Amino acid sequence: MKLFKYNKFAFMAMVSAALISCASDDQPGESQLDYTQPTKTALDKWIATTYLNPFNINVQYKWNQNTVDNSRYLFPPTIDKVKPALEIVEEIWLKSYSTIGGADFVKKIAPREIVLVGGVNLNSVGTRTLGLAEGGQRVTLFETDYIDQSDRANVSEFIHTIQHEYIHILNQNKPFDEKAWAAVTPVGYTADWYNYDIPESNEIGFITSYARSNINEDFAETASMILIFTKAEYEAFLDGIESPFAYQALKTKEALVVKYFKEAFNMDFYALRDEAEKNTTGVINN
Amino acid sequence: MKIKNIYKYLFAAILILHLSACNNNTDAEQLFNQTPTERLNAQKSELSEALLASQFGWKAVYFTDNTVLGGYTHLFKFAQDGTVEMASDFDADTDVYKSEYEIQLGSTVSLTFTTKNRIHLLSESDNYPIPALRAKGYLGDFQFLYYGQENGEIIFKANRNGTEIRFVKATADDWANLSKNLVMEQNVIGSDERPLFRLLETTDGTTTHKFDFAFSEVTRFAESNSIESGYSISYNMGVGYTPTGIVVSPAVEVGGQKLTNFVYNDADGSFTATGTGGVKATIKYSNKPLILTDDYKNFLDAKPQMVLGYIAANLYTAPTTSTLAKSLIDEVNATLPANQKISRVQIYFNSPYGNYVEYRFSGGKPSLYHNFTTSADDTNKTILFTHDSWDNGAAYIPAPAFLKKLDDEFFNPSGLYIKKEAFKITYSNTIYTITSSTSNFRITTYQL
Repeated sequence: MKLFKYNKFAFMAMVSAALISCASDDQPGESQLDYTQPTKTALDKWIATTYLNPFNINVQYKWNQNTVDNSRYLFPPTIDKVKPALEIVEEIWLKSYSTIGGADFVKKIAPREIVLVGGVNLNSVGTRTLGLAEGGQRVTLFETDYIDQSDRANVSEFIHTIQHEYIHILNQNKPFDEKAWAAVTPVGYTADWYNYDIPESNEIGFITSYARSNINEDFAETASMILIFTKAEYEAFLDGIESPFAYQALKTKEALVVKYFKEAFNMDFYALRDEAEKNTTGVINN
Repeated sequence: MKIKNIYKYLFAAILILHLSACNNNTDAEQLFNQTPTERLNAQKSELSEALLASQFGWKAVYFTDNTVLGGYTHLFKFAQDGTVEMASDFDADTDVYKSEYEIQLGSTVSLTFTTKNRIHLLSESDNYPIPALRAKGYLGDFQFLYYGQENGEIIFKANRNGTEIRFVKATADDWANLSKNLVMEQNVIGSDERPLFRLLETTDGTTTHKFDFAFSEVTRFAESNSIESGYSISYNMGVGYTPTGIVVSPAVEVGGQKLTNFVYNDADGSFTATGTGGVKATIKYSNKPLILTDDYKNFLDAKPQMVLGYIAANLYTAPTTSTLAKSLIDEVNATLPANQKISRVQIYFNSPYGNYVEYRFSGGKPSLYHNFTTSADDTNKTILFTHDSWDNGAAYIPAPAFLKKLDDEFFNPSGLYIKKEAFKITYSNTIYTITSSTSNFRITTYQL
């Protein structure tokens, strides 16, 4: 096969031509990009040792337009307010879950980034967005400039936000039994939940008014409220419910939360509540 | 075609591709000599150097949106280590605070104030001056896109809405005198001691135009509309304070010249911006209403009965009841026992009993009546009350001393302006204001 030999030779020539023809003597030089690390302040180092190294959670407190909604009028936190806010998060959330769920629990299921925003995120209807959880990856906490550690109600609200957003992160990793949940209080969910008083919402089986916005918020509100109540406070709350239907609905939801924690994460929700209670008291009394 | 030929042609085609592929012809037009990265890096260092270059830092009067809000003066002193010291005249706290900044890459190179300082007060969603700005604060931004330099000024545009912000070199005086901006604010708001009416007067050297002038303290915004019929120009402007006057945006355009810097004159409380060739704009006070009406004619003799009543409960707080009027009423009340107060001042024109002012009291004190005759000053368009007598409804009495100062305002020998107003207060009754032609006395009344 003369032709075949000829082809073989030509093929080799073409391959070598392809491989060496476009050679250039210019070698890539140094990168033009500025890859020098910004100077780390004491705060940055503290964040690295407390959040980044042990938990692989990045904390963003400096303004970055890509992590916030630019149509909102927000601002970054005051530097001095960053550490106190993060200490509360560490104490209440990281420690409680690490103790009950095991040291690696939050390392596996945690937002990979916490974004702190100093200002209030006011909505045009007059409600305030206290926190956001996105895609199981990022939690944004607002109003960090207004945390007043000496004010129990103020700290409770901030803690509530953390607990609430972390429940969302958990749900975004492992869904809860939405069908069973939706069947408990099929009516009562409404987009204008902010027009209702909390006691009014309690009496139809919702733990807060915000819980009425949809079942995901209902689950997060139910779990986070039980976590920030002390055991005694929660029992007193249930005792105050007059409607038997509402009482039963709240108990059913509580049971669903407990079941979710047991089945999804093999965690005793009541033990978690007791641990959170201990740590919350610690933060507020400090 | 035989398969042999297919190979042949294919081979030829690939050979041609190979031989022509390594053409190094870059005839495409080169817009820039440097790569995009090089150019961005150059801009970054250019901005960074500029920020650090000024000895006393930079000053910016930030008009976040000059269609609704005024200007807020900020002073910045940037440091190499990424910190910035800042002061602002946003509120009474003009102290210097430290925070961090970064030169960030957004849609272009930008200066971002990355941790909270004074400039962020303009971007606080729950601190808004008027309901329309609910959840929008003062429409401020703190990420400024870099748009180069001009005459030693750094030009930025807000990332949020593209508003231009110019950084000018600050001086030591700027830092020392920042708190004086808030002293000036009081002069812009105006004092009760000054005359009641305010106007903007512009002249291009030959023609003069007059505009009313209303300033809102919370938004630092002034509205100014022509009062001349057939001349419908408006100057609505954001106001920023300086130690010596105000700076406005958008500029007041007179005779093709843009006037922005107004200088305060404490002698008469006026602000004047001077251009060239006699062009001038002045914000000043006037004792005389900008528009004189013929409304006073309805109260003269031979007209039907008219009753104008000042009712303390509803009209003491009316914005058109002047501070002087309020203080004169307070003075009268202070002379009375604790349970008695002026409840009404009711003026009857052309009633069956003639013209009289009725002073009516709460707490069981009987009314007092001051009878008068009217006359008109048609040149100045005022009505004059001339004293006739006092009575208590049963008998003539001497003039009551405790009412004298208040009463004298109505009996001003230079007369009173009476104006039918377009607005209503609480009730649907027509509102008339009675204004002194020489003092700051103005009282608000219902037509009863």
